[in-house]
Amino acid sequence: MSASAIFVLDLKGKVLICRNYKGDVDMAEIDHFMPLLMQHEEEGLICPVLSHGNVHFMWIKHSNLYLVATTNKNSNASLVYSFLYKIVEVFTEYFKELEEESIQDNFVVVYELLDELMDFGFPQTTDSKILQEYITQEGAKLEVAKSKVPTTVTNAVSWRSEGIKYKKNEVFIDVIESINVLVNANGSVMSSDIVGSIKLKTMLSGMPELRLGLNDRVLFALTGRDKGKTVVMEDVKFHQCVRLSRFDSDRTISFIPPDGDSELMSYRINTHVKPLIWIESVIEKFSHSRVEIMVKAKGQFKKQSVANNVEVRVPVPSDADSPKFKTSTGNAKYVPEKNLVVWTIKSFPGGKEFLMRAHFCLPSVENAEVEGKPPITVKFEIPYFTVSGIQVRYMKIIEKSGYQALPWVRYITQSGDYQLRTNV
Amino acid sequence: MPYLGTEDTVRELRRALSNPNVQSDHLRYRNTVLKVIRTMSQGVDVSGLFSEMVKACATVDIVQKKLVYVFLCSYAALNPELSLLVINTLRKDCQDPNPMVRSLALRNMTNLRLPSLVEYVEQPLTAGLRDRAACVRRVAVLGWAKLHSLQPSSEIDAAVVNELYSLLRDPDPVVMVNCLRALEEILKEEGGVAINKPITHHLLNRLKECDIWGQCEVLRILQRYQPQSEDELFDILSLLDASLVSPHPPVMAATLSLFPTLCAVSLAAVERFRAPLLAACGSASREMRFTALCHIQLLLRSLPGLMCAHYKRFFCGYAEPAYIKQRKMQVLVELVNDETVAMLLDELKGYCTDVNADTAQAAISAIGRIGRSYSDRCLEILTGLLGLKQEHITSAVVRTMRDLVWVCPQCSDTVCLGLEGCEETLQDSQGRQALLWLLGMYGERVSSAPYTLEVFIDGVRSEASLGVKMELLTATMRLFLCRPAETQDMLGRLLHYCIEEETDMCVHDQALLYYRLLHCGIEETRKVLQGRRSDPSLGVLIGRPAEPISHWAHSFNTLEPLRQSAVETESASRGSPEHVTFDPKPSTDLSDTLNCSHAEKVQTGSDSTCSADDLASSIMVPLSLSLSPALSPEEFEHLWLWRHAEQGVEKTKEEEDYVCMEEHVHCPAIPLCSPQSIQAAMQLVNIQTLAFTPPYTLPWRVYLYTHTQHTRSADTPHSTLILGELLYTGEANQKAIGDREVMVEGEQENEGEEATADGLSGREMARKDREKEGVKVTLKQQPRDDEALKGFLTILTTVLHTLSSERA
Repeated sequence: MSASAIFVLDLKGKVLICRNYKGDVDMAEIDHFMPLLMQHEEEGLICPVLSHGNVHFMWIKHSNLYLVATTNKNSNASLVYSFLYKIVEVFTEYFKELEEESIQDNFVVVYELLDELMDFGFPQTTDSKILQEYITQEGAKLEVAKSKVPTTVTNAVSWRSEGIKYKKNEVFIDVIESINVLVNANGSVMSSDIVGSIKLKTMLSGMPELRLGLNDRVLFALTGRDKGKTVVMEDVKFHQCVRLSRFDSDRTISFIPPDGDSELMSYRINTHVKPLIWIESVIEKFSHSRVEIMVKAKGQFKKQSVANNVEVRVPVPSDADSPKFKTSTGNAKYVPEKNLVVWTIKSFPGGKEFLMRAHFCLPSVENAEVEGKPPITVKFEIPYFTVSGIQVRYMKIIEKSGYQALPWVRYITQSGDYQLRTNV
Repeated sequence: MPYLGTEDTVRELRRALSNPNVQSDHLRYRNTVLKVIRTMSQGVDVSGLFSEMVKACATVDIVQKKLVYVFLCSYAALNPELSLLVINTLRKDCQDPNPMVRSLALRNMTNLRLPSLVEYVEQPLTAGLRDRAACVRRVAVLGWAKLHSLQPSSEIDAAVVNELYSLLRDPDPVVMVNCLRALEEILKEEGGVAINKPITHHLLNRLKECDIWGQCEVLRILQRYQPQSEDELFDILSLLDASLVSPHPPVMAATLSLFPTLCAVSLAAVERFRAPLLAACGSASREMRFTALCHIQLLLRSLPGLMCAHYKRFFCGYAEPAYIKQRKMQVLVELVNDETVAMLLDELKGYCTDVNADTAQAAISAIGRIGRSYSDRCLEILTGLLGLKQEHITSAVVRTMRDLVWVCPQCSDTVCLGLEGCEETLQDSQGRQALLWLLGMYGERVSSAPYTLEVFIDGVRSEASLGVKMELLTATMRLFLCRPAETQDMLGRLLHYCIEEETDMCVHDQALLYYRLLHCGIEETRKVLQGRRSDPSLGVLIGRPAEPISHWAHSFNTLEPLRQSAVETESASRGSPEHVTFDPKPSTDLSDTLNCSHAEKVQTGSDSTCSADDLASSIMVPLSLSLSPALSPEEFEHLWLWRHAEQGVEKTKEEEDYVCMEEHVHCPAIPLCSPQSIQAAMQLVNIQTLAFTPPYTLPWRVYLYTHTQHTRSADTPHSTLILGELLYTGEANQKAIGDREVMVEGEQENEGEEATADGLSGREMARKDREKEGVKVTLKQQPRDDEALKGFLTILTTVLHTLSSERA
C-alpha cells in the first residue's frame, strides 16, 4: 500500500490539510500537483495518476476538493484509490457534506481522523463505528451507530456483537435491480445488463441464523426441481457473513446477519433485456431557425405494473431559446444550465405510450462551439417487479431463544445507466 | 480574533500560551492551543511557539494532548534540541493507565522522526509490544518499522524481530497485519518477511477476520509462497474463493495476483481473471474502472482472446472521462476479430466525432490500428471522415493514414485518392507534416500534389513550424524526382529561400545539403532520398505474439500498469513513420555475431550442416538480399498457396521459372526464440518475416520472404523472389521421413549432379537423424535461380544457427 502522505487541496491547489505518514517524500512536492494537472488537462491526457520525477500523485476529486495521495513506491493503485474513497466516506459521515468549508470548520477532527485512519502509510482503523472510540472532539460526534460497537478485539462473529435486543423481531429484504441499457441511434440495443443487489435491514435479537432461498437455476437443477421461472446469476458477490462453502456445495445462502442495514449480496445478469421504457425520438434541427423534438415513450412491461417518477431527459442545443412544449401526459421543463428538456411522468402504466413535442428557436448566428451528441437518458422506478424474475422463496430465521420473526420482502426495478443515443 | 499580521499573531498566541491565568483554566488553555493549530493549518509559520507548546503538552486533557502532538510532529525536525524536552512527557504517558493515551504517546514518539531520540524510544516500544491493549500493540509494531526507516543502516535487534514474528499470532488481526508490514520494511534487504507453510496457513485461516486493507496486505505477502504439493495448492485455492468474489475490487485484485505464482503460470488460471476484472470495469468509481482497464490491457498481452466475447462491455458511455474512453478504445482495438469487426468499427466511428478533440483523435487512430488487419473497411470510414472538413478530425485522419500506409502499402491507392483537397482544412503542424510526407512519398499518384506543395512553398515565409519546413523540403525533393517538370521551378524557389533567407540552422543546412546533393546528379539524389516506403514488419498477419504471463505478473496490482500504458500513448505522437524504429532488445549482441564473415559461421555449424555446407561451397558470386519491393501478407499468401496447389496437381509440368525446395536445418532451440529476436536477426540480413506462431507452440511456423539479387556472369542484375516457411513439428518420429528422397525438386541434373550422385546415400542417413530435431525449411523461388537459392539457404541457415546457439 504505502501512501507517503495524504493531502486535501482546494480547487486552486492550495493545501487545506495534509498529513505526512512516512516522511520519505518531500511535502513540498505537492506544489507540482496542480501545474501537472492543468498541463495534462490541456493536453487531454488527464489521468488518475500523475508523476513528477519519482513521486506519483494518485488523486480523486470530491465536490470542490482534491484528495491526493503521494508515493514514491510502486504501490497498489486500486488500494490507494479505495482508501481515498474511504476517507471521503468517513469524512462525509462526520461532516454530512465533505467540502472546503467543512474541512476548514472541522480541521481538528480531520487531524484526528487522519491520525487514526492511517499510520506509517498503512490504513489502520477505517470503520466509522470503531473510529468513534478514538475521536475526542465532542462537537462533531456522529449520530450514527446507536447499536453497540463490537469492541475491537476478537469476537467470534466480527460483524455482529452479542446481546442485541429488539422488542419486535423483523427483517426487511429489498431486492433492487438496476437496468443498464445502451441503445444505438438506429434503435438497436448495443448492450444491456441487470445489476441486482439484495439489501437487508435486520432488527433481530441475539445471534440469529438466517437462510435465504432464491429461485436460482443452479439450485433448482441441483435438487431436480423444474417448475416456474428460474434465474442464472453471474458475478455473485456476498457480504462476508455468508458461508461460501455452503453456497458452493448446495447453493444455500446461510448467514448470521450484521445488525442494521447491510448489503447481503450483489449479482449481475447478462441477458438481453427488452428496454423497459422504449424511446423513439425525432430531433430535427433547422440551422439558424429552430429545433423540433418529438419523443415517444412506451412502457414495455406488464400492464399490472406501474413505473413511478419517470424522467426522460432529452438534450437540446446550448443556444436554443423560447421553448414550447406539448405533452400527452406529465409535464416538460427546460433546464437551460444542463441543456436538457426534462419530461416527468409521475406514473407510467405498462403497455402505455405517451408523446412529447418540443419546439425551440435557434439564433440566426450559428454557435461556433462544436457540440457533442449527448444521449437521451431515462430514469424510472418500478416497484413490486424485477426484470430478471428473481424471487425470494423463503427466509428462515432460527435463533436459540426460539422467537418468531417476520421477513418482509420488497422488489424494485430501477434505471441504472440508461442511455439512448440520438442522431442529432 | 482580529486580523493580525503573521508576527503579531504569533506574538499574541505566545502571550496567551504563557499567561498563567490561561494555563490554570484548562478550557481556555485548550482553546488557545486550538488557535495555534488553526493558524498552523492556515499556512502560518508558528514554529516559534515550540517551547510554549512543549509545556502545553504536560496536561491531563487528552484533547489538548492530541492537538499539541499534531503541532510537535509538524515542527520537531526544526527543533531537535527542544524536542528532547517532550520525550519525558511522552515516556510518562506511555505508562498511563488509559490505553488510548499510551498508544497516542507511542505513536507520536515515533512520528517525531528524530534520529537523536531513537535511544529513548526503544524501551517504550519494546514494552508496547507486550501491552495488554491491542491498540497499543498496533502502534508499537509499526513503531519499529518507523525506527528502521529512520536509521536504515542500523540493525534492529534480533530479539525484536523474533518478537514481531511471534506477534503474527496475536489475537488482534490488525496487530497481525501490522507485524507483516513492519517485518516487510525491516527485513527488506533479506527479501522481506519469511513465509513458510505454518505462517501461510495461519494467515489464510485468519484472512476473514481482517478488514479489506489487511486482506490485501496478507494476500500480497502470500505471493511469495510456493505450495509444496498439489493438495495443498487446492486447499489454498478453495480458501481463496471467498476473496475472489469479494465486493471490494482491491481484495479481488490482490487475490488474482496470487494466481500466477500459485498455479505455476497456467493459462487456465488466468481465465479466472475475466469475470472479476470485468466486474471491476463496471464499478462506480472512475479511478477503479481506470485501474481495471489498465489491468485488462496487461492481461490481453498474454491472452489476446480473453475478452473477445465481452467487447460490448468496453463501449464508452457519453459522460465517461476522456482517459477512460481512450483506454476502452485501446482495449477495443485488441478485441477485433472477423465477427466483431463490423460492430466495433461502427461504434468507433461514433466516437470520432466526440466533442473532446483528444477522444476523437484516439478513436481515429484506433480505427487506423484496426486498418492493419481490415484495411478496406477502415479506409472507407477514414475517407468518409475527411468529408466532414473538421480541422482536428482531418488532421488525425491524415496522420492515421500516413501510419497505416507505412505498415500496409497496399492501402496507398485509396489514401492517395482521399488526400485531394484536404490541405484546406489542415491547420496544425502535425497534420500538415503527415500530409507532406504522403505527398512526397506518393506524389506520382496524387495529381494535384505539385499544386498543393506550391501553396505551401508560397507560404513558407510565414510558416512557423520547423517540422513542417523540413518535411516540405524533403517532400519537394522527392516529388521533383518523380515529376521534375512540374516541380523544378518551385523547388528552386524553395531552396533559394531556405538557403538565403531562412534563419533556422536546421532548415538552412538541410536545404544546403539537398542543393549539393542535386549537384551530384539525379541518380545519387534518388539513392539518398528514395528509401523504403513502408515497413510491413510492423503489421501483423496472425497477431502479436502472446507475451508470457511472467513478464507482467510481478507488476500486477501495482501502480506500474497505470503508468506504463500512459507512456505508450505519449510516445504514439511523433513525426514521420521512418522515425518509428522497431527496436528489438537483443539487436546489439546479435549484430556482432552476424557481422562475422560467412565462412566462419558455416564452420560453427559444421557438424550438422553438411548439406548446407556443400551448398555454401558452390557460392562464389556475391549475393545480395533486399526487402523491396515489399510484399503484403495477402500477396504472400496468394503466391504461396497458388504455388502450393499447382505443385500438388501436376509435378511433371514444372515451370521453368519456379522452384520449390525443402531442407532440414538442425537448430532445436529456434522455436524457443522470441519472434522479435528472430525478426531482428532476419532483418539484419534483409530477410523479411511476415508471420509467426507464438513461441513454444507446436507446430511452430514462421513465414518469410526476400528478394535476391546477384550479378551472375553477365552484367545484367538478376533478381528473384524467395518465399519461405520454417516449420518445426517437434515430433521425434515424423511420418514425413518416408518422402525424404526428393528434397530438392526440379532439374537437379543440370547443375548439382556430381554433388548429389554419390553423397546422397550418406546424406540420407544423417538427415534421418536430423529430421528428428530439425526445422523444416520450405523455400519457393521465382524465377528459378539455383545459385541464388543455395546462397540464400546458407545465409538463412547461418542466421538460424546463430540464434539457436545464442539461445542455448
